[in-house]
Amino acid sequence: MGDILGLVAKRLGLGLIILLVISVIIFFMVELLPGDIAEAVLGQGATPENLAALRKEMGLDQPAIVRYLDWLSGAVMLDFGNSIVTGTSVSQTISERFANTLFLATYAAAIAVPISIVLGIIVALLRNSIFDRVANVATLTSISSPEFFLGYILILYLAVKTSMFPAIASLSSDMDFGDLLYRTFLPALTLVLVVTAHMMRMTRAAIINLLASPYIEMARLKGTPPWKVIVKHALPNAWAPIINVVALNLAYLITGVVLVEVVFVYPGIGQALVDAVSKRDFPVVQACCLIFAATFILLNLAADVGAILTNPRLRHPK
Amino acid sequence: MSVFVIIYYTLLLGASCLAAYFNKRSAFLLIFSLTLVSFILGIVGGPGALRSVAIAAGLLALAAMVSYAFREFLIVIASTNMAKELRTAPLTAAFGMFVIFTYAIAGIFAPVIAPFGEAEIISSAFAPADETMLLGADQLGRDMFSRIIYGARNTVALALAGTVLAFLLGALAGLLAAVNGGWFDQLIARTSDVIMSIPSLIFALLMLSIFGGELANDTTSFWLLTGFMMVTGLLVVTAVFENNIIGWAIGLAALVGVSVAFAGFMLIIFNPSEIILVLVVAVIYSPRVFRLTRAVAGNVVVMDYIEAAKLRGEKTWYLIRREILPNSTAPLVAEFGLEFCFVFLLIAGLSFLGLGIQPPTADWGSMVRENATLVSFGEITPLIPAAAIALLTVAVNFVVDWMLYRSSGLKV
Amino acid sequence: MTKKTDKVLMDRLASAARSGDISRRSFMHFAAAAGMTASAATGLWGTSAAAQPSRGGTFRWGVHDGNSSDTHDPGTYVTRQMIFLAHTHRSYLTLIEPDNSLGPDVATSWEATPDAKEWTFELNPDASFHSGKPVTAQDVIDSLNHHRGDASTSAAKALLTDVTDIKADGENAVVISLARGNADLPWLMTDYHFAICPSNGDGTIDWKSGDGCGPYKIESGEFGIQWALSRHDGWHGEGAYFDKVEMLILNDPNARQTALVTGDVNCVSLIELKTLALLERNPDIKVDNIPSGGAITMPMHCDTAPFDDVNVRNALKLAMNRDEIIEKISFGAATKGNDFHLSPVQPYWPEDIPQREYDPDQAKSLLKKAGQEGLSVNMSVADSVYTGAVDMCVLYAEQAKAAGININVVREPNDGYYSDVWLKKPFSAVSWGARPTPDVMFTLAYKDDAAWNESRWQNERFNELLLQAKGELDESLRAEMYREMCVLMRDDGGTIIPFFNNWVYARGKGVERGEDVAASWSCDGARAASRWWFST
Repeated sequence: MGDILGLVAKRLGLGLIILLVISVIIFFMVELLPGDIAEAVLGQGATPENLAALRKEMGLDQPAIVRYLDWLSGAVMLDFGNSIVTGTSVSQTISERFANTLFLATYAAAIAVPISIVLGIIVALLRNSIFDRVANVATLTSISSPEFFLGYILILYLAVKTSMFPAIASLSSDMDFGDLLYRTFLPALTLVLVVTAHMMRMTRAAIINLLASPYIEMARLKGTPPWKVIVKHALPNAWAPIINVVALNLAYLITGVVLVEVVFVYPGIGQALVDAVSKRDFPVVQACCLIFAATFILLNLAADVGAILTNPRLRHPK
Repeated sequence: MSVFVIIYYTLLLGASCLAAYFNKRSAFLLIFSLTLVSFILGIVGGPGALRSVAIAAGLLALAAMVSYAFREFLIVIASTNMAKELRTAPLTAAFGMFVIFTYAIAGIFAPVIAPFGEAEIISSAFAPADETMLLGADQLGRDMFSRIIYGARNTVALALAGTVLAFLLGALAGLLAAVNGGWFDQLIARTSDVIMSIPSLIFALLMLSIFGGELANDTTSFWLLTGFMMVTGLLVVTAVFENNIIGWAIGLAALVGVSVAFAGFMLIIFNPSEIILVLVVAVIYSPRVFRLTRAVAGNVVVMDYIEAAKLRGEKTWYLIRREILPNSTAPLVAEFGLEFCFVFLLIAGLSFLGLGIQPPTADWGSMVRENATLVSFGEITPLIPAAAIALLTVAVNFVVDWMLYRSSGLKV
Repeated sequence: MTKKTDKVLMDRLASAARSGDISRRSFMHFAAAAGMTASAATGLWGTSAAAQPSRGGTFRWGVHDGNSSDTHDPGTYVTRQMIFLAHTHRSYLTLIEPDNSLGPDVATSWEATPDAKEWTFELNPDASFHSGKPVTAQDVIDSLNHHRGDASTSAAKALLTDVTDIKADGENAVVISLARGNADLPWLMTDYHFAICPSNGDGTIDWKSGDGCGPYKIESGEFGIQWALSRHDGWHGEGAYFDKVEMLILNDPNARQTALVTGDVNCVSLIELKTLALLERNPDIKVDNIPSGGAITMPMHCDTAPFDDVNVRNALKLAMNRDEIIEKISFGAATKGNDFHLSPVQPYWPEDIPQREYDPDQAKSLLKKAGQEGLSVNMSVADSVYTGAVDMCVLYAEQAKAAGININVVREPNDGYYSDVWLKKPFSAVSWGARPTPDVMFTLAYKDDAAWNESRWQNERFNELLLQAKGELDESLRAEMYREMCVLMRDDGGTIIPFFNNWVYARGKGVERGEDVAASWSCDGARAASRWWFST
């Protein structure tokens, strides 16, 4: 167990360095973007005078490096500063949005992960049958249409034509949990359709990959029924790649859902990030990107730890 | 009971009896279960539902026939060895190959096949299909069919170029990292971690905003492309010449020449903003390729035969080329198929943010986006390019599945 | 005075009014042009008894163009969503009435000295902020000063450069002094930036709290997501029939449309024009298609070759088939432009200037005259300019081929279009919101030294007339001057105006509106919340 703790500590340390590097990259990328905050805020209404006044008020007359260090000194104490445009605290603005995003991601994952793993096992069992082919084509089609388009089609059939679910997922504070699940069902379903195929295919591939191994052959020759061969013998060794792809998709559910948020008017963090980029609001962009990066790093770490825990052989590296 | 329904059930029952008589177990199961399902569907949905089932079955049968014929055709024209491999291909893989083949033909000979120009306005907006316009007109009155054909050329070429560049960089770095290990491995691994941690859509948005406006000119894109090729090439030079100084000098000179020539060549095919798009896609996807290659090659590197080759005194480049690469092709090819589809979708998503391909160039992603709102009214215009994307993705993955299956060595 | 031709015109007008082809506003306008007095014209229009508004209900309003980075600062209002919100929770000195005339808001009346250099606004003593504090002269002064002075960061600063002093005249009157006479100052006060906010007492205003003196007060909400408002009982105006207003920010066109169709919202502020005809088939939905003063312009830099030759500019103007553009890009929801920046719904529109039509042959001969046969130019555009803006330019490029002109359409990124492309690239496409009077519009974008002189057009006669017209209080003289300016823009200017885009918005079942709607913004001059009601 000590090995794992050591690994976790090492990876967390490395993660912090990666976050630092990312913050530098993001800062200078935002700096490099054409136009600055003042121009973005005033839009078509910008004149040289009010631009100069606004730049001064926002502190943009300071050199870039000074502004970055200023931000960094706050960030190391977990103070992500104030939005330059609105002046409100970044953590306050973002925390609620992030909670919404997490809720939607959890909702979608709670449906997608069990379904795709069970489906993956079933199609591995029934490989090359009609069922396998149909599941394959259906899931491939669902990942190959752009996700905003998938959302539109779901809205058409489940909201406009049959009015089973609301077309827009706007939230208000007085909703109870059931209501919340009901209102956010369509965006969650869209995400489920987007991620299921990848996870299911990987589960299937990981299991089939093992079916040629001698020990599976042995089990089969012993007369073990096919489902038992797969669940008892193949699956335990296939967990590592499955956990990996699940982690990758969970990260996607949190970081890659901007378009779904737009289509369903869901107040998540992706929309806030795109808005902030268009306004060049660096502290908000920075905070969002760091949250995304941290999510990614943590999920990756969790996947690796999970792989080690499910495979005793990896626990004692040579 | 209409004549159609009677014929429908007669055909199904006849076919299932025939299948049972000739002991075709799976065919019988399939047809008979379809018959049973049809009873329920017929009661719930009426003849309309049965008609759609019949059409779907007909289309499937048509696809199966085309695939079968295409596979036989390939077997006839291929060499003996290839023909042997092809005989093992399931119908789905043959179908995939057929679709890819069709798309390739459509893309390469687009100006010959398309009845109208890609930007030519020939009728009113959203004109319905007639004999001159197979799929009707789009929002400006341009021929939809011609634009789909041209779209095959533009969209596929871009996605392919992006994926190939991502693979060049990612796979080379992965192989080298696996063989060399040490600080080189660590450096590249951490760099790829950084790029992967930034969400791809946001990364692309930032990069394209920086390079998309003023900087999208011939000079900038030429130098960016040359720079990208130099980085990739440096990896090759490192592997080939290791510590040989003279070799390095020659290699570098050759590299500069090749990079410049390649960049010049790309500029002929694509316009500057497309090149920048391709590069951004390559940078975003190469870390994913790197990770996979590193993992696959990492498993091969610890094998005894590699140890033996090392003891023989073989150079890094030899190891990569002759020992590692042949043993990790299958997962790489499979990944190529999936990544190709993701690149496709990323480009479509970028055009949602207004950063895609320059008008009036047709690409499927923007064609979906431009008319997407019409879906809510049951109009099919946006479904056509979406179906084109979906068909290609499914086709590519069918072929990939077959390759994976072959490489897994499973004979059941 | 009334000549025979006027009689004919009058008959035509009356029949147009009956068949509903013409709005009350333009009717009054044409009638005045035909020499009729206002009261006679009103009589001719006829009075159909307006339905009696009823109070109550929650108005759910889906609006477009909102951003999480918006703020309550009136100086940096930029998104449409904030303009809708501002007209719902704040008030202005004056407002544009549903019939597009100027009406009172916080100011009850106003008058000028004969040289139009000093304006006095009487304030409504009943006006109060949501906090309960009455609106005083000090609040108005500080609210206007927010847009003046060196430290001001307001986007409306340019509009008030002529103001030399603003002072109180007792508790309930404000005097604005100008360096130059400006007959349009009361119109100017309707600009969405000049919202009245409570004064902090030290010369600044409290805009952060979101307090205002408008018909509804903000209960809760978040920028870029949604707002909940309830009626402000002490509001000084008439209307505010809904008990509550919920404003939902729906940036995606499909989301707006489906929300309206499924009844999730009662009104949406913008309809995607592609789906206009399909939506009109729905019996529960009423689509309002209102001509506006907002224009799509295509400025060419008059100091840059080849646009420095007026023949080239006019050839490019002639090479455009506006009818096809309106049919395919705006789906009919637009008013044809004539290359001068004044729309038929705006005051002083000169109706007798001949319409410029598509004429590739004449364009060709003009190019020949300029020695520019086979002209090839780049044209910059972004999707965000207008729905279908890129398509519009592609279509234009196809049309111009008939005149032997090759237009290369360059799609620029949406992001940063107005800072990096507009005013910088020699030929681009731009979208302009409506300005209340021609003076404001011309001074902003066509005057020789204007910061936004987007076509870099220098015309001595035009600039001379502009200054003259500004201080002219005689209406008919002013109209004559504006007519001449329009002719100059059309025949010498560097801006192609393909069309004036209509406001196209839609209401769901049960939402009623008055007979007329203001054309200044979408949704009845952005005041749908306080002017509309639910049928019982």
